[in-house]
Amino acid sequence: MSVLVKARPGAAPRLTVLVGAAALVLSAALGVVIGTADLSVATVFRAVAAQLGAETGIDTLTRHIVVDLRAPRVAAAILTGAGLAVCGGVLQSLTGNPLADPYLLGLSSGALLGVSLSLFFGLGAAGVAGFGATSVAAFLGSLAALALVFALASARTGALPTSRLVLAGIAVGQLGSAVASGLVLASDRDAARRITEWTLGSVAGARWNSLAVTASVVAVTLAVVLWYSRDLDSFAFGERAATSLGTDVAGVRRVLYCAVSLCTAVLVAQAGIVGFVGLVVPHIARFLTGAGHLRLLPASALLGALLLVWTDVLCRSALPDRELPLGIVTAVLGVPVFVVLFRRRGGARG
Amino acid sequence: MHTRVPPPPSPLPRRFPLRALPLALLALTACGDQTPDSGPAPAAAAVTVANCGHTVALEAPPQRVITLNQGATEIVLALGAEEQLVGTAYLDDEVSEAWADAYARVPVLSEEYPSREAILEQRPDLVVGSYASAFTDQAAGDRESLDGLGIASYLSPFACPDDADVPEISWDTVHRQIEELALLLGREEEGNALVEEQRAVLDEIRGRAPAEGLSVLWWDNDTDTPMVGAGEGGPQLILDALGAANVFADLSGEWATTSWESVLEADPDLIVLVDASWDTAEEKTAFLREDPALRDLTAVREEAFITVPFSTSTPGVRNVEAVQLIDAQLADGGGPR
Repeated sequence: MSVLVKARPGAAPRLTVLVGAAALVLSAALGVVIGTADLSVATVFRAVAAQLGAETGIDTLTRHIVVDLRAPRVAAAILTGAGLAVCGGVLQSLTGNPLADPYLLGLSSGALLGVSLSLFFGLGAAGVAGFGATSVAAFLGSLAALALVFALASARTGALPTSRLVLAGIAVGQLGSAVASGLVLASDRDAARRITEWTLGSVAGARWNSLAVTASVVAVTLAVVLWYSRDLDSFAFGERAATSLGTDVAGVRRVLYCAVSLCTAVLVAQAGIVGFVGLVVPHIARFLTGAGHLRLLPASALLGALLLVWTDVLCRSALPDRELPLGIVTAVLGVPVFVVLFRRRGGARG
Repeated sequence: MHTRVPPPPSPLPRRFPLRALPLALLALTACGDQTPDSGPAPAAAAVTVANCGHTVALEAPPQRVITLNQGATEIVLALGAEEQLVGTAYLDDEVSEAWADAYARVPVLSEEYPSREAILEQRPDLVVGSYASAFTDQAAGDRESLDGLGIASYLSPFACPDDADVPEISWDTVHRQIEELALLLGREEEGNALVEEQRAVLDEIRGRAPAEGLSVLWWDNDTDTPMVGAGEGGPQLILDALGAANVFADLSGEWATTSWESVLEADPDLIVLVDASWDTAEEKTAFLREDPALRDLTAVREEAFITVPFSTSTPGVRNVEAVQLIDAQLADGGGPR
């Protein structure tokens, strides 16, 4: 795997970002046009125009399909993909582990436990800020796991040594999954089905009001990690070297761990668990831009967003009559791309 | 709770003193429409039903109904309302022969859940589901948002997401679900007739108690740790009507996961095998006959097996069918020798 981390700077990082941004805008537009309901491009435009106040004679349901179902899904896919890819990239640099993903610190298991508990006990509580009850349970679960991991991993000095964090994450994760599996077994068929469905991820539940929260969190996280991009670069040389380069290692690490984990917790509430994106997209981005975080992170964000927008389009249009889970399709789409890239790299290096 | 309540801002005169409300509501569900008499309320809904913490309100009988899950589909078909359906989806097994023709006349939107877009595209005025998963984001979407689009929704009370809203499973609550849907569909007469007919069948079988004195295992699925009918669900209801004793009546809940050891200990006289596409009665019989420990069970030695389709065991319009099926198989010599 070391070949992935040490990939040399790509040919034209700036071009990559520009092309990526253009592709994303185009994909977003296509994402709103494509869907199960048979709506022509003209109808979609009229629906958007109607939302903006024009008199187009479009009926409420069509407008709802375009403006309140498809558009927020595309937006949620962009935010989730971008956020997960950035969080994954940052965690890979922070831990020096190419296998790190955004759920590293027990977040996915914590969220799964939260969801299982709420469905098992039939807590039909109301949602918050456009997030449904399941999302709230997922968010609380992942926060609880995160707090536990931090508490277990903190040294007496208040530092957060990487190895302890990763081990605490594994321990808390295993515990959460075990209890959640027990609850799934004990649940009735329908609750078990809903839990499984949730673990495979989806942006079908995206609504504009919940997206406002997600968008703010992803934007702030992106700003924070870019602010620290030089420090992240210096971590590549090891912690001791980073300190000698003038980085307040412990402080920066704490801020970054908190930022990406909180962001991931919000994304878990938004879309459930979407595997693969946060693990692999940063590696793909590294092939294209090199390891400098100022370019790597925006490129990861763009690629992650693109991947999820298209994955979601496939999820809702591949089968004529039902939805596919996001997590499965991300892997099916992304793994071949990843394999081709790293085989090519590996071949070039002999 | 699961009966009709007056619409919240009701301009109608209160017909019953508050103290008599619970009784009155029961009576209402059973017999009467609660449409406004001559109240000057053009915007008020003609029919309202309290359902899983929601109020289902309809101004006129719906003409574009979508049913998700077999239970919902079968109740609507049993009420003779197939012309009000624009689509159905997601069967567990086969629709009862009684309504198979009517079922074939209604488009099937999806093998499992159709997506929200596919549902909205049909422009439904009422969406009926049997399980809470029918109203998740991957299916019809949450009920509040459907309300916002002027689409009414009804979820089987037995599947309310909040446990506090779930009624105890009894013939009364099973029938109340039928009556509530009949009311919403504008088919109260059909609903009352159906419930009456079911009650008559039940009374007759209860009177005979064809399974009196028999201890029964209700095996739903799973071979390692068998899932069995417990004391508070459809299986218990059905066995009670037959006069049989459920060997796992002491376990709480509708179904429970138990061990073969406790089955051996109970050594039932009769085993009811649930026939589901994911775990057929045939597979179950073969397993029982070949398992070195289980083949010594009295019921297995005597081949005292009785088969019922899965869809007759969840609380709904077909529970009576399960009672009749078991009764017929017992009469046919399906019981212990």
